[in-house]
Amino acid sequence: MRNACHGTNRICFVLLLMAISILLQVGIAGAHGVDLAVETVKGVAVTAAYSTGEPLAGAQVSVFSPEDPASPWLTGTCDESGRFFFVPDYNMPGTWDIQVRQAGHGGLIRVEVGEEGVAPPATNGLNTMQKALVTVSTVWGFVGTALFFSGRRGHASS
Amino acid sequence: MHLPDGIVSATVAAGGYVAAGGLTWGTLRIVRRENEDPRRLIPRASLLTAVFFVASLVHFPLPPASVHLTLSGLVGVMLGWLSFPAIVVGLFFQAAMFQHGGLTTLGVNACLMGIPALLSHGLFQLCHVFGRQKKSVNAVLGFLAGFGAVAISALFAALLLIYTIPEHLDAVSEKTAVIALSMAHLPVAVLEGVFTALLVLFLLRVKPELLETRK
Repeated sequence: MRNACHGTNRICFVLLLMAISILLQVGIAGAHGVDLAVETVKGVAVTAAYSTGEPLAGAQVSVFSPEDPASPWLTGTCDESGRFFFVPDYNMPGTWDIQVRQAGHGGLIRVEVGEEGVAPPATNGLNTMQKALVTVSTVWGFVGTALFFSGRRGHASS
Repeated sequence: MHLPDGIVSATVAAGGYVAAGGLTWGTLRIVRRENEDPRRLIPRASLLTAVFFVASLVHFPLPPASVHLTLSGLVGVMLGWLSFPAIVVGLFFQAAMFQHGGLTTLGVNACLMGIPALLSHGLFQLCHVFGRQKKSVNAVLGFLAGFGAVAISALFAALLLIYTIPEHLDAVSEKTAVIALSMAHLPVAVLEGVFTALLVLFLLRVKPELLETRK
């Protein structure tokens, strides 16, 4: 009987220890709990494509802050569709340069970052009609030059 | 092969301008010495500059990049020493009108495409050795001139790009991309070789004096 009681006490003691250790673990785990918060920020998304429309997948991107135009503030690569996204440091207002490059192709685009956000760059691309007009005009310039000089030759020989 | 602005360092761009300036001056001097009236070459030079200017607008989508015609070999064959100044003018208009190639890299691009054109000219002159009128000689040399100009340009561009990769870029992936792009130029080189050979054969039949670069 005494032995049995002693045995029960022992079991109680072991159970108590287990309960304490579980509680302790929960407490420790609680200290490592992670609070997740979400905020919406304004960033810059760059899309790089060849003039034929094919994306520069995997192209390397270097972002230069206005404070250090020599060494990049951030480097990364474009995704499969030629896109790259980053959030500039709004404490550094000014002109940010984004350089995209792959095998010697690529370019540089500039965005103005201010206290109120990011101003998109002015687009200077030509549409198909303008491109055709520019091509025709330039070719006509070359043809005209050719005609002018062959005309002179004709006059000289006649 | 049209390097845009900001790809090469200022030193390389300046070096390109110096080299291209020197070559333009040198080739123009040779043209003046070789020809009694160099102005008679201007109509042909002007038209071939137009061809060169338009050729780059013909794109082929060859993954991983899109490549385009240059026809610098043809320009070299038909213009001789004058091909270098013609390519400089053509590149200037491409950069100014379409931002195809940069204005700061004009000198570098002129060397990348102009020097192979001059080499093509030299190569095609070998037909004086092997037989001016032989069709087979003209066809083979025409092909090699057209093919070689593109291949050598791609090789020059690849070497220049690989040796001037900025520190902050991932050199390995850029190198892989450069090599892949150079390889993509092989089909274009073959195409231009065939085109140049066909045109040379055509001119040989209808107007062989157009293949003479001296007047």
